[in-house]
Amino acid sequence: MNLQYEPSQTILRETAERFLADRYGYRTFRETSERAGGFSPAMWAEFAKLGWLALPFSEDDGGLGGGAVDVAILMEAFGRALVVEPYIPTVVLGGGLIASLGDKAQRTEFLPAIGEGKLKLAFAQGDGVAATRRGNDWTLAGSIKAVSGAGIADTLLVAAAMPSGGTGVFALPRNAKGLSIRSYGIVDGATAADVELVDAAAPASTLLGGNEKAQDAVGAALDRAIAAACADAVGAIAVMVTSTVEYAKTRVQFGQPIAKFQVLAHRMVDMKVREEEARASALLATLSLDGASAQRQRAVSGAKAKIGRNGRFVAQNAIQTHGAIGTTQELALGAYAKRIMAFEMQFGSTREHLRRYGALIADPALASAGLLLEPAGA
Amino acid sequence: MDLALAPEDLKFRDEVRAFLKTAITPDMRRDQALTTGFASEPEVALPFHQALIRKGWSVHSWPKEFGGTGWSAVQAYIFENECARAGAPVYNGAGQRMVGPVIMHFGNDAQKKKYLPRIISGDDHWCQGYSEPGSGSDLASLKTRAVSDGDHYIVNGQKIWTTFAHKSNRMFALVRTSTEGKRQEGISFLLLDMDLPGITVRPIHGNGGDHEFNEIFFDNVRVPKEGRVGEENKGWEVAKYLLEFERGGALQAGRVRAQFAKLASVVAKRCADDVDVTRRLAELGTDLDAMEMIDITTLSALQAGANPGPVSSLLKLRWSQLRQDISELAVDALGTDALRFVAERPLFETLQLPPEEEEALSATPRYLNFRAYTILGGTSEIQTGILARALLGL
Repeated sequence: MNLQYEPSQTILRETAERFLADRYGYRTFRETSERAGGFSPAMWAEFAKLGWLALPFSEDDGGLGGGAVDVAILMEAFGRALVVEPYIPTVVLGGGLIASLGDKAQRTEFLPAIGEGKLKLAFAQGDGVAATRRGNDWTLAGSIKAVSGAGIADTLLVAAAMPSGGTGVFALPRNAKGLSIRSYGIVDGATAADVELVDAAAPASTLLGGNEKAQDAVGAALDRAIAAACADAVGAIAVMVTSTVEYAKTRVQFGQPIAKFQVLAHRMVDMKVREEEARASALLATLSLDGASAQRQRAVSGAKAKIGRNGRFVAQNAIQTHGAIGTTQELALGAYAKRIMAFEMQFGSTREHLRRYGALIADPALASAGLLLEPAGA
Repeated sequence: MDLALAPEDLKFRDEVRAFLKTAITPDMRRDQALTTGFASEPEVALPFHQALIRKGWSVHSWPKEFGGTGWSAVQAYIFENECARAGAPVYNGAGQRMVGPVIMHFGNDAQKKKYLPRIISGDDHWCQGYSEPGSGSDLASLKTRAVSDGDHYIVNGQKIWTTFAHKSNRMFALVRTSTEGKRQEGISFLLLDMDLPGITVRPIHGNGGDHEFNEIFFDNVRVPKEGRVGEENKGWEVAKYLLEFERGGALQAGRVRAQFAKLASVVAKRCADDVDVTRRLAELGTDLDAMEMIDITTLSALQAGANPGPVSSLLKLRWSQLRQDISELAVDALGTDALRFVAERPLFETLQLPPEEEEALSATPRYLNFRAYTILGGTSEIQTGILARALLGL
């Protein structure tokens, strides 16, 4: 067990925070989300130049070989800066699925292109999406709602039930026949889309790794994406806490800064404690990604639910402490509150993750188990 | 960065498990399971403590030179977790966790020699004489006077909320040796024997039925000055050092997880289909995971020689709340079975019922007693005030 950051990780954090403080922020966020459809090609190219779009891929796949902790560091900085570009759909989830499932040809086709900023992905999974064999190839049918980043993705990864009973993941170009994508803006300024597959043609070469039993890999990739989203939410929570404290120290009413009122001081401590809990939960999720699946799921669902609850508490109390101005778009605060709302509703709601967590800890062995991970087979 | 147990940690865990398997008898486990207060009765805890002594583990957190183990932070965490999982008795920590570190840090050689070995051996039982009827959260207002008389102090006054005073032979106390200047600067830290003439102990029974708290009266008690730790009128610094141990120094994750696991098994047996209860249980599980992670992060920082920051107040604030939340859901999950109340103590002597009924009977006293967790050792409001200053600069 070791929870100290490596020097290279501290450098990554400082680099990311400095770059984003200079180049991103509330104004950039609003321009990108309100006028550019949630994506700035110029900014994405900068991310590619910084190596961020290849961060988690192995060196063999042309990546930087970064781990989950590195991704989490970057995500927290994205959360702080309100980055709205589709990093999780493209790099963490899409890239993650191709890295874990794709054969050599697919990895070579997709991963370097992601790293260079030339390819954006989204991942669509929904009940009732099924693959049917047609000769050597497949057709896909079904519909999926609210797919993050699908409206701006070049290639859509679709999880489908295979006739054999397992799950396959297909990589379809956005103009594939029978695939329609209805894109819309979502509450945090990013985009999502409803996806409709009507006997969409999926050649055999689009099935990642030719794998018809990809369900565990999909579960693991989703958990990885959720852990990244948790780190992003922690960044947003931290900004809300800091800006609330700063505001309360300077806002004068009744002849004194409102931070002097004990009821507000104690509320802000509650917010800060919620932030610390959220940060610890996100770290637990990140560090459990390579553990046994039950431990991984417990940590990830626990973090998703806990950070959702804590984030909601912080957002509501940040707005309340700011008073009327907190309810408006004059301040960045509302954008952070909306980011937490979107976090709560994506990749499974707070309620759904609480249920998954509850089902896992119904196993007495897991309810009584500490957090340190045993090596496989121990 | 990783959360993995190293092979040597696993080996150590197996050694702890093997030890606990023989050291904790079934009776001991039942006695502990039916303990509804904060610590086990000494007659339950002592045999276990003696097994620890034989193993050389009785004061594991102390530096090696004073009889400690020299364990790494991870080993200490594993040990505490395994003890809690196995249902080991909870030894009243006033000697080992509170006054012991104070004597090591501030005490003179004679005091170290006199007191430390008897803490290790379990011969001495300590209680903490801090609060007074008029001095709770505002501890520095304490009035118990110690007036110099040659090589003695003559002590007059009153202490209250003294946990296990009735089972202790020694006390560490804060007494007023000066009324001049700032009130913090007139306080001394004094070690005294509980059998001195002029000391009276009056029991105070908690709402849960347990006798853990006491009121202590000092009537012209002559205390040798050699019991003073640190300089006269400098006791407040000593007290502040000790508070760090009281609030955050102990690893709590194991105990609270054991409390949680017990609740989870009650829920599984009695109301697994009650979505209100299972949802709340899951919320508490995520609260517990977050706090355990903060605990481990603190450990890791200490081990790396880094400063964990003002975390002890945060730990006290949240762990106390979590213990209460778990005890509250336990009562809710039991429903009308939590209504029946047995007043006699200890429960492990009084009750002769099937295990499930015994378990149910301990939930309500525990819920009631645990209301004290957010009050003792600095109330949640005091901790929140400390955090407002330390974390937010307010």
